[in-house]
Amino acid sequence: MTEKRRLLLFFAGAIGVASVYCAGIRNMPPFGHYRGPYGDVIARLAVYERHTTDTVNAITYDYRGFDTLGEEFILFSAVTGVMLLLRPETQERRRRETEGENPESFRDRAALSETVQVFTTGMFGFAVLFGIYIGTHGQLTPGGGFQGGVIIAAAPMLLYVAENTDAFRRILSHPLMEFFEALGAAGYAVVGLVALAFSAPFLTNVLPLGKTGDVFSSGTIAVISACVGVEVGAGFMLVTYEYLREILSREKNTED
Amino acid sequence: MLANLPYYVAAWLFLCGLYGIVRSRHLVHTVISLTVLQSSTYVLLLAIGFRKGGYAPIFADIAPGVITVDPVVQALMLTDVVVEVTVVALLLAMVVKAFEKGGTTRPDDLRFMRG
Amino acid sequence: MLSPALLVAIPLIAAALLGGLRKLLPRLLTDVLALLTALFNLVLASLWTLHALHRTQVYWFGGWYPRGHMALGIGFVMDVAGCGLATLTAFLATLALLFSFRYTDSGGDHYHPLMLVFLAAMSGFALTGDLFNLFVFFELMSTAAFALCGLKTQEPSPLAGAFNFAVTNTVAAFMMLTGIALLYSTTGALNLAQLGLLLAGRHDRLVLAAFAFLMTGFLVKAATVPFHFWLPDAHAVAPTSVCVLFSGVMVPMGLFGAMRVYATIFQGCFAGTHVSWIFIAFGSLSALWGGIMCFAEHHLKRLLAFSTVSHTGLMLLAFGLWTKTAMAGLLLYLVGHALVKAGLFFCAGILLHRFRSVSEPWLFGKGRALRRTRILWILGGFGLAAAPGFALAIGESYISAGAGWTEWIFLAVGALTGGAVLRAGLRIFFGLGDAGPTDESAKVDEAPETLKESHQINWFLWTPALACIAGSIALTFWPEYTNAVHSAAIRFMDFGSYAHAVYQQFTPASMVRAAAIPGKDWLLAGVHAFLALGLALWAVYRRRIPRALRWPSHIEGPLRPFRALQSGYPGDYVAWLTVGSAALGAAAFWLGH
Repeated sequence: MTEKRRLLLFFAGAIGVASVYCAGIRNMPPFGHYRGPYGDVIARLAVYERHTTDTVNAITYDYRGFDTLGEEFILFSAVTGVMLLLRPETQERRRRETEGENPESFRDRAALSETVQVFTTGMFGFAVLFGIYIGTHGQLTPGGGFQGGVIIAAAPMLLYVAENTDAFRRILSHPLMEFFEALGAAGYAVVGLVALAFSAPFLTNVLPLGKTGDVFSSGTIAVISACVGVEVGAGFMLVTYEYLREILSREKNTED
Repeated sequence: MLANLPYYVAAWLFLCGLYGIVRSRHLVHTVISLTVLQSSTYVLLLAIGFRKGGYAPIFADIAPGVITVDPVVQALMLTDVVVEVTVVALLLAMVVKAFEKGGTTRPDDLRFMRG
Repeated sequence: MLSPALLVAIPLIAAALLGGLRKLLPRLLTDVLALLTALFNLVLASLWTLHALHRTQVYWFGGWYPRGHMALGIGFVMDVAGCGLATLTAFLATLALLFSFRYTDSGGDHYHPLMLVFLAAMSGFALTGDLFNLFVFFELMSTAAFALCGLKTQEPSPLAGAFNFAVTNTVAAFMMLTGIALLYSTTGALNLAQLGLLLAGRHDRLVLAAFAFLMTGFLVKAATVPFHFWLPDAHAVAPTSVCVLFSGVMVPMGLFGAMRVYATIFQGCFAGTHVSWIFIAFGSLSALWGGIMCFAEHHLKRLLAFSTVSHTGLMLLAFGLWTKTAMAGLLLYLVGHALVKAGLFFCAGILLHRFRSVSEPWLFGKGRALRRTRILWILGGFGLAAAPGFALAIGESYISAGAGWTEWIFLAVGALTGGAVLRAGLRIFFGLGDAGPTDESAKVDEAPETLKESHQINWFLWTPALACIAGSIALTFWPEYTNAVHSAAIRFMDFGSYAHAVYQQFTPASMVRAAAIPGKDWLLAGVHAFLALGLALWAVYRRRIPRALRWPSHIEGPLRPFRALQSGYPGDYVAWLTVGSAALGAAAFWLGH
């Protein structure tokens, strides 16, 4: 189909979709007047029922914890898919070796200032610590496993920025990375199974709830949050590695 | 109508995303248009949950019982954001592979699936 | 009785295990573990189906039981239709994993975790009673499917298929989420039963808009015309065992999602209106379009993919009729079609394994030595045509019991799809007639998926096909099964008992004594088979017919622009998606207001 016809078709459809959408909006409750009882009921109950101050995470990991299990495995499948798609083939590797490397393309830029290198490398530790802090305090403040995991996964990028590609590569290609990802993913489901052992439905919060406001409170929410953090962190690092694998191997060859 | 502006913004983003995919001449552009489509659903969800004068539903420093915005839509959206990033990564991996194999990122040149 | 959560949790844990330890486990152990997990699902799902025949039970996750009329948590509603679908999924997954035993390229051992995640997602999708949970499992199902399409992308052509599949289905998912958001804004609920109760009788613009968006999302997954373009591309890309699950369960799941949402939420809203005519219209269009495109194809997997479009269109048509017998027929047809289609895909996989090709002209005459495959393929062809003795025939007789005009559409679809499969079978396995067209369309072929060519067809390659075809025949002669499906259909459409189950934990079910199938329908089924065979023979011996009698071949010219619509360009597909969605929305507003 020519581009013009495709656009014509699309505009015909888009007018229809837009009118349907806008017709729906006109019947919605006005903006700023949230009516529904679901959110209010949980906001009022979560503190007492689960000793948690962050209601959003209570919903994510407890009230609607089963949803989050599914979402976590979407992440798992997507990471597996990326590893599957970008897997190295034997012919590819042989071709690259015979064609030889071109070291110039990666070295013809100005050397990075030492201040930037030192500062950025120092920030790595802080970033990891910050990620762990966010990940473990999900039941108290906005945060939790997903956010903490992403911060931890982004920390090695600081090393890459600081041109410490050797450390970067060694962290990302660590053989235990896949294992940790799987551990985080399975961990969530296993925590759910633990509830079954207590004759409660799957994913019931069976651990002691502790005192509201403590780090060790809200039972399984903290544990699940930690599992998710491990999985998300490892997953993102695996994806980053798959994408940068080729560049990293070239850097390694030029260094040797 | 101006009162419901965020909802109309969501609708506009939705259509922009669709337009981007239809009009796209570069596969990465197609994937990013999908991200725009994604954002429209987030805007819609969060706008639905908003309550004028509502506090954040974090009771660390406010007492339970204070009027808050809806935590449910935030929970729905939160996991979605992180997850969709990886799905976009999956799509971009397909694009990388397409470039590697076909030498092109133009959707036109990938018409291997002609009926 | 074990918790139904295990139907989702066990495959997920197994997937994580196989994924994490993939470098350590030998291939045989991975295969066996995956197979055992699928078998576990099969056994548990069957037990729950038998349990559901007596009562529909609801399982609330996290112990969050509803408070008053408000559902706080997520629930699984274990009714016969859902459990039955979960059983079908597990059955086909077991056979698919058996088929890929040892020799299928597992892409560095990423295949097994993804298959298990796919199994878990579809099981959860069939059982859930929460709208957002439905969306999450829809996304999980889709992502695992996209990832599985990445197995054979070491060749250049399959990437377009995988990419189109991913883009189209992700757009569908976001449309669904938009619909969910619209419903949530006005009701504040995400539980299907609660939404149905809160929206009863309302058919204002918001409900109609949400209906349009939700249905678009599900119908894209159900490969309804004009949302179907991604399906043939995806089938040409994916390995055989994955195609089995796509056509056998994933596409019908899309339809089941639409049915579930309609039966719970929208049934009360559109009670006095004719909104279900939309499904009849889209269903008939898909059935006929899919059938014509199927007959025009010469790539075996794409041929089967178009026949899936066609048959799912028939199911959508049956759903639009919205009567108890039509629903019973739909469920019977769904299972029968899944089994026959799976059997045919397994046979195509055997051909791919043995001859490294699925192109009909190229395979001309080569299949003569494969006797078992030959019999199974021809039986499958007759099965698609709804010949007597196959489960599809029973389904059709139920569906057209109330609406006689649908018989013509069934006849056309059966002749076209069954005829296409029989034509391919006559050419490949018997070497009859000519080799078929040698134009550009015949040059589309597929990369082999097994690690080495083999002249031996191992037992685990033809046993799944045999199990499927035999199953679809056996189900015809089992009256208890037909009765059970009939009562499942009645239960499925009954929102009152569904809501009662959700808020009271369970409702006892009642078995229905179904009427025996009238004798004339066997004759009609025979006509189907005859017509399909006739069409196949005509196609194969076309060159020998005098030119004057060859008039149907003049449609090939006009057909070409329609075939060109399957362009492989994602922008085209999304443009058609937009148009289809607009049409659906317009029809909803017109009929439902």
